[in-house]
Amino acid sequence: MKQDQSKKSDNIQQAKTSVSPVREDSKVAYKKRIGVYVCHCGGNISDYVDVEKVRQVVENEEGVFLAKTTMFACADSNQKEMVEDIVTQKLDGVVVASCSPKLHLLTFRAVTERAGLNKYNYVHANIREQVSWAHSDNKQGATEKAIRIVRSAIAKVRRSQALEPIKVEAVRTVAVIGAGVAGMKAAVKLAKSGVLVYLIEREFFVGGRVAQWDNLCISDETGKELITRLYDDILSHKNITLFTGAEVVEKSGSIGNFSLKVKITPRYIRMQCNKGELQKAIDVCPVEVPDKFNFNITKRKAIYHNYPGEYPQLPAIDIENCTRCGECEKVCSSIDFNQKPEYLDIRAGSILLATGFDPYEPKKGEFGYGEIDNVVTLPQFKRIVHYCNGDKLQFKGRNIHNIAYIYCVGSRQVNGENKYCSRYCCTSNIYTAIDAKKRFKDINNFHFNRGIRTYGKQEILYDESSRLGDIYLQSFEDNPPEVKVVDGKTVVSINDILTQDKKLEVEADLVVLVTGMVPRKDNSIGNLLKVPRGRDKFFNEIHMKLRPVETVIDGITIAGAGQGPKNIVESMTSALAAATKSFTIVASGELALEPTIAKVSKDDCEWCGKCDDACPYDAFTPKEIDGKTVAVVNKSVCKGCGMCLPVCPSNAIQLTGLSDDEVESMIDALMEN
Amino acid sequence: MSEHKKILEYDVLVIGGGIAGGECSLNLANLGFKVLLVEKDLTIGGKMIMLSKVFPTLDCSACITTPKVSEIARHPNITIFTGSEAVKVTKLAEHNFEAVVIKQPRYVNVEDCTGCQLCEEACPVSVSDQYQYGLVGRKAAYIPCSIASPRAAAIDIDNCTLCGACERVCPTNCIDFTQTEEEYLVKVKSVVVATGFNLFDPLKIPRYGYGKFKNVITSMQMERQLAPTRPYNTILRPGDGKMPDNIAYVLCTGSRDKSIGNPICSQVCCMYSIKQAQLLMGALPMADVTIYYLHIRAFGKGFNEFYAQARGMGVEFIKGKIGKITEKENGNLLLRYEDIEEGKVKEAEHDMVVLSVGLLANSEVSESFTNKELELDQFNFVQQTDMLANPSKTSIDGVFVAGTASAPMDIPDSILSGGAASAQTISYLKQVTEK
Repeated sequence: MKQDQSKKSDNIQQAKTSVSPVREDSKVAYKKRIGVYVCHCGGNISDYVDVEKVRQVVENEEGVFLAKTTMFACADSNQKEMVEDIVTQKLDGVVVASCSPKLHLLTFRAVTERAGLNKYNYVHANIREQVSWAHSDNKQGATEKAIRIVRSAIAKVRRSQALEPIKVEAVRTVAVIGAGVAGMKAAVKLAKSGVLVYLIEREFFVGGRVAQWDNLCISDETGKELITRLYDDILSHKNITLFTGAEVVEKSGSIGNFSLKVKITPRYIRMQCNKGELQKAIDVCPVEVPDKFNFNITKRKAIYHNYPGEYPQLPAIDIENCTRCGECEKVCSSIDFNQKPEYLDIRAGSILLATGFDPYEPKKGEFGYGEIDNVVTLPQFKRIVHYCNGDKLQFKGRNIHNIAYIYCVGSRQVNGENKYCSRYCCTSNIYTAIDAKKRFKDINNFHFNRGIRTYGKQEILYDESSRLGDIYLQSFEDNPPEVKVVDGKTVVSINDILTQDKKLEVEADLVVLVTGMVPRKDNSIGNLLKVPRGRDKFFNEIHMKLRPVETVIDGITIAGAGQGPKNIVESMTSALAAATKSFTIVASGELALEPTIAKVSKDDCEWCGKCDDACPYDAFTPKEIDGKTVAVVNKSVCKGCGMCLPVCPSNAIQLTGLSDDEVESMIDALMEN
Repeated sequence: MSEHKKILEYDVLVIGGGIAGGECSLNLANLGFKVLLVEKDLTIGGKMIMLSKVFPTLDCSACITTPKVSEIARHPNITIFTGSEAVKVTKLAEHNFEAVVIKQPRYVNVEDCTGCQLCEEACPVSVSDQYQYGLVGRKAAYIPCSIASPRAAAIDIDNCTLCGACERVCPTNCIDFTQTEEEYLVKVKSVVVATGFNLFDPLKIPRYGYGKFKNVITSMQMERQLAPTRPYNTILRPGDGKMPDNIAYVLCTGSRDKSIGNPICSQVCCMYSIKQAQLLMGALPMADVTIYYLHIRAFGKGFNEFYAQARGMGVEFIKGKIGKITEKENGNLLLRYEDIEEGKVKEAEHDMVVLSVGLLANSEVSESFTNKELELDQFNFVQQTDMLANPSKTSIDGVFVAGTASAPMDIPDSILSGGAASAQTISYLKQVTEK
């Protein structure tokens, strides 16, 4: 207490010389009618913390007017009771001791708001994650710790201030990054809902991975047809601006008002072009490189499109591989090597990230990949099946009859990094194997699997394949199949648990490695936007169930396989859900932001730039005020993280809602015996 | 039935107040659309509100559901009818639907009920509690469950003896036996079907002995035993109240089984069984848990890691199909199964068996659509007519599907599906304003 008083007198002295609003805050009268609610959380808390004892102890704290326990503080019935208490008992501050504020801070702030009490007079005490779950071995200690944490929350709420949210304009535009199916779908949905959309695609053509598939499972439509349909939707909507060959290279701003710099790589071909001439240009190009679109099983020219009728229907020149021989220019007047990269500045209220996945690339020698010439990946196999005409499946000029599929390559790794299941591969592979068997003569499918995961309705495919006579052989992860060349023939062997661990061998004309999905190798966009990734290195949502398409960066939503392996339906579903969230952010044109941000006393600030260096959000700028350079906080950018506070040499920064007085009082309460 | 139908108008009728219908309603309401949420049950929150913890994060399910439910319940743009059904839905034109909604009498004025439970104490009738999946009893005057919304009493009129005890003790006089069925005519611009799923009834597989052997329970009954609002406050086998120490899970009960007419995989049973196994190892540290499976479908984000974690904790996984379960005199159970790995038929004794029951379609609602057919797929789930490009689209323009009404799915997928349905509903509604 002594310390407290000296602090106060200190404040009064300083207040004489300064009129800083921060200092004034501490003079406000302390709360006297605080309501405290201690939650059982079913048994999550009360199994380890004596909640009744906590209640009894804190009831006598200064300023506490009522203290109650509750089975589920978050349940509607209790919320109603709290509202009633606040109104009838004229409570001036509220503390709920329950779970992590990550889960329910907003819930209880809303409760106080509904009762007409400013929501910043609510303080959350975490006695579940920080107490009951952490100290389940020591009930007495847990109860003591809970009491201290609740006391500390009470100390803070006694000093709390009514605050008003900061209103900022929200640009009614959404930037969708990635024009695969998820990005395209989200863009169309957003445009239809009435906002402007920038659809930004790094490649020269839209459609992402789905454009690379032909026949699609559980649909009569091909991947290309699906892309065509979405592309037509995009073109028909004036609200969508599509950029291809475009990459976001700079980002500033925050929710409601992001500024992005988009670099547009030239195609080196004029928009108004002569199609006949362009085809000639492709024909004369002497450069041949592996065609990534076909997963390198074919070659393409340096001037190229991925497939006839691709969108946009304008080829591009792959300048990295172009030798500038000039042959194309001779036959085509539309070629223009003078085109330069363009940079565009765009603004958006929200960013929807739909950057997709990379197929897993097996290591050289992994099940013979890259060493045995008839070992291919699932995406390559899909292209091979697509390009084969007639009734014979051929690869490298040889007829294919026996196909061995090795599952979980690059997924569910025992020693590798990818511990996860890639979700789509079992179904996708079985579908393609059935397709091959139906279209070509004498195909025998051998599935070397680790437990087939055709979940849900996809089960019927597994059933169909079994009825068609496909053979399934299974091993566990510690005993994978082997691929070897014996007398010039490729042989796959396995200890098959379905036949009592017998060693079985199949002479395969083609070995298909059923490869999974991996996060994009190039995470430059993720780094730029600071979107965190999970253990699996895919983008992470805030909460899988409560906020499944939002990220911790306010205003940035995620969709599609960039978040984790998904099939097309699942990608589409997440795209629509993300579009709804992004739309909700920008729809009203205005956002209410947290007022709990840094505040600089211009009298004390002697701009040294240290706050600027410490700030992870670039919220500080130097500004000349009354003939003196001081730091100014950008209110819509500051997150109130507090990184600037300890580095300020003149103690000129305070956090609104977390002033020194409040924090010190909390520490005192924690230490008090 | 009242003579005069009350006429109500909303933008969207959402049928089903589970997590998918709830998520969809919230999204719509947050954007200013007026929603009528019709729920057959006495509380919203669906199956999720009844669960213990949810995979793969082991979040407490109630902790996630109750705030959502509360948000839905108090949203000014959402009107909730519990104990109600949309019995007839007619499409008159685009953006013009008419639905007949029947609200069953609760015999309690919800506004006046304080949830004090005095009526429960006074009521002399005991019947099996459907919200605890028959593990314990409840009264004929009862609050559905402690986290129900609305948290108000209801009278189970089928079992009520009309003794009047509840009326006498009720401090707010909110019990009203004169209530009758109410019929509403609801005019809306769009409809969302989020009617969820039915659990497979294991009585249909007599060889597992469910209903005959008391220590054979369903996974939902185990879920209740593990939930924070659990009936016994510990894990007990129902036969004799003994704490089990050797529990078996029988996966694919009612899934992937043509003999009972459901060839597809239910998508969640592997994961919830693995989750329950982990929770059981926490609750009963000495207990052994064995999971009999065909294939473990741990396919979602973090699922395979969760499966590996269970194995690391010592949960035993046996690849094998259960042929038959018999009961011993002491209540233990003998499981006859094919151990696929060893290629032998074996027998194992467990003191409790949990049947991991599957998810079946709950598509009764399709019969309510009169002038246009709400098409179902071959498994009786609502047909997604443009699954790849418009996953919420059904055979009727303006009617969208959300959650497990269209296919088995887990909670994250249901919530995403609710979000997708709201997106498609919004763009359908926007067509009106464009006109």
